Amino acid sequence: MLIQEGLSLEEKLKILTDAARYDVSCTSSGVGRRGKDGFLGNSRTDGICHSFSADGRCISLLKILLTNQCIYDCRYCVNRRSNDTLRTAFTPEEIGTLTMEFYRRNYIEGLFLSSGVLDTPDYTMEQIYRALLLLRREYRFNGYIHVKAIPGADPALIEMTGYLADRMSVNLELPTAGGLRTLAPAKTREKILKPMRQIQLGIARQLEREGRLESRGIRMDSIGREPSLPDPASALEEGSGHLKTGRPVLAEGSKSPEKGRPALMDDGGSREGRPRAIPGKSVYGNFGLGRVSAYRPYFVPAGQSTQLIVGATPESDYQMMAVAEALYRNFGLKRVFYSAFVRVNDDSLLPELPGGPPLLREHRLYQADWLMRYYGFAASELLDEARPNFNLFLDPKCDWALRHLEQFPVEINRAPYETLLRVPGVGVKSAVRIVAARRRSALRFEDLKRIGVVLKRAAYFITCSGRMMTPVRLQEDAIAAALLGEERRRLPFDSSGLYRQLSLFDDFHLQEGEKSHGSLCV
Amino acid sequence: MVLYVCEDSTEGILCGVYDAWASRLGHDRVGLALAGAYNYEMFTEYRPVLTDRAKAQKVERAVRGKISERAWRWVYRATLSREKEKADAVYRFLIHGFHIGEAVTQCLQIPQVHALFALNRAVACEAHHQKEFLRFSQLPDRVLFARIGPKHDVTPLLMPYFCDRMPSERFVIWDAGHERAGVHVKGGLWYLLAGREAARAAALEKETDAGRYALLWQIFFDSVAIPERKNEACQRTHLPLRYRPYMTERFSRS
Ligand code: SF4
Repeated sequence: MLIQEGLSLEEKLKILTDAARYDVSCTSSGVGRRGKDGFLGNSRTDGICHSFSADGRCISLLKILLTNQCIYDCRYCVNRRSNDTLRTAFTPEEIGTLTMEFYRRNYIEGLFLSSGVLDTPDYTMEQIYRALLLLRREYRFNGYIHVKAIPGADPALIEMTGYLADRMSVNLELPTAGGLRTLAPAKTREKILKPMRQIQLGIARQLEREGRLESRGIRMDSIGREPSLPDPASALEEGSGHLKTGRPVLAEGSKSPEKGRPALMDDGGSREGRPRAIPGKSVYGNFGLGRVSAYRPYFVPAGQSTQLIVGATPESDYQMMAVAEALYRNFGLKRVFYSAFVRVNDDSLLPELPGGPPLLREHRLYQADWLMRYYGFAASELLDEARPNFNLFLDPKCDWALRHLEQFPVEINRAPYETLLRVPGVGVKSAVRIVAARRRSALRFEDLKRIGVVLKRAAYFITCSGRMMTPVRLQEDAIAAALLGEERRRLPFDSSGLYRQLSLFDDFHLQEGEKSHGSLCV
Repeated sequence: MVLYVCEDSTEGILCGVYDAWASRLGHDRVGLALAGAYNYEMFTEYRPVLTDRAKAQKVERAVRGKISERAWRWVYRATLSREKEKADAVYRFLIHGFHIGEAVTQCLQIPQVHALFALNRAVACEAHHQKEFLRFSQLPDRVLFARIGPKHDVTPLLMPYFCDRMPSERFVIWDAGHERAGVHVKGGLWYLLAGREAARAAALEKETDAGRYALLWQIFFDSVAIPERKNEACQRTHLPLRYRPYMTERFSRS
């Protein structure tokens, strides 16, 4: 490994940013904290983006590595030991100064500090802890800090670090244990899940101390007595054992409701096995204190997140979503991030991806993730073993609605909140507004427009006081064609390749449409 | 028809509301307009509104007490809008507000409620973007200086926000379009300057030194993008071009 001495701060910043950029999570959300005298910074629950880089992603935090030296050799990673790149490290003072000076100028909301594994996990975690301690105590920084917990590090170090950070994350990276074995031989499921579980318990205890467990829909009895918990690690392992036969991870869960039940939340209201949708809140219970005082330390108040790489290994979307769902239910994660695989290393075990990173697939996974957390969809409703991948041409919600036309139309003036949420073109905000506004007077189509409903999509699925917007009831194919045209305009991509794919599909659909009725999956 | 002509300020508009209401002419027969921003019409009587803090405060108290804090936030933000019809929009909204009470902010189906909601949302959105994209540079003595060019007059919304997060920093926010400046000199107290005072604050811009951190920021900004995911269209949707001239980072052109 080439460790370069005497680099300037400019050179170090370039190297250690280049090395950090593949971790996609860059949000500064989840914690609200006011400023305090003598300190720099505050934090807003909804987070703030300060810029957008040339790839269109939000820049919120100073996302850097402490060092890009690493003793491991994960095949997908730029920093793997066997890569012949320049290695360097920041001093804690450099990190402190950069964070403070960037923050003062309103470039960033805070710091996202990650690191390669230097010598040992313990040593690395200790360096991270020191950098954070300096930043909080000496430099008096009160803004947002997201920090990585290094698997294998002493739990005491992770605990201490958690009291200085707002968010912690441990990246699962590959959704199955088999995938990890092939691409990250030094990592195992257990090693990654251990700190994740520790952080989950730490957050739960913090919530308990604050008397906020119940209001978050989390049951301490199911967390406290560990044996009564379904073993999430083995639940995850179990699924991956079936990977070769193509069976989805956690398939068990969808069949026997007992096993698939969220371990840490009371989802009593779900007769159909769906988690209950709480207006504007995640259905998995809010792990993380959220609003905090600036005058006391808290353990990871913005909650825990992780990242899954999309498309480095051959898991289906269903397997990905099932893993994500289990992470939310059993590990109390606040966010799961999806990162389209970028082939930075030439390695025979990595897929070729001639079309570039699978961005559209990543986009669909995010949409589905949103549907699980805020709309009360279960992974098994969106996909199943027979249909393991998302329709690339329609968003998962439209796709679901088209496959469940028997549940529509929905009457806007009567349907419960959960049902409104399932209407394409109705988002969380507009569903909340509908429920509030209809108390005063029955809503008409023109009212829905003001409320923010996208009628272009919703029109096919709703009635207002018994009337459809258009007099003719359309067939599935016609609705699908209309939605497809609309979807094309909403995609956040500019890729001409994708448009070609879409028009090809239109041709396909025109021919197939007459013969077979229905399925839009390709 | 009687049109109350008020000054373009929060207080001016609130006083217009007060006068129009107190006239007891009937809501259909009165309206509000901003000074210099209406066309003369025959058969309309124009009455100038005297801006008077006590009157404005009475209206504010009534809105907060009889409707809600939320309604007050909507009204306050709407008065900062650049739209000419804002004064009348506030008045029309308050007619419903005092009639319906707290629930008025949930009645988006009422056109006059929605109109004010939309004004408020546009202003809130602009303020949010400024909180994201505003950039400070440093003057001698570590004073921070930012030049902004917002559509709406959002400086009064930005000052409390930056005062909370940087209580120990001295800073100036100069709105070049509205020619207003917000100034914070430690301790959370801030001032809004207009006219010649504001122009003096604006002159400070010449003394800022772009400095080392601007360069470091540019290095970070360029490095953090993943080349394989380049997507300038997406970047443009999130970060509209009009903010970029005020920002520190330079955006490469494809
Ligand atoms: S441990 Fe982390 S930094 Fe090291 S090679 Fe693996 S992924 Fe890369």
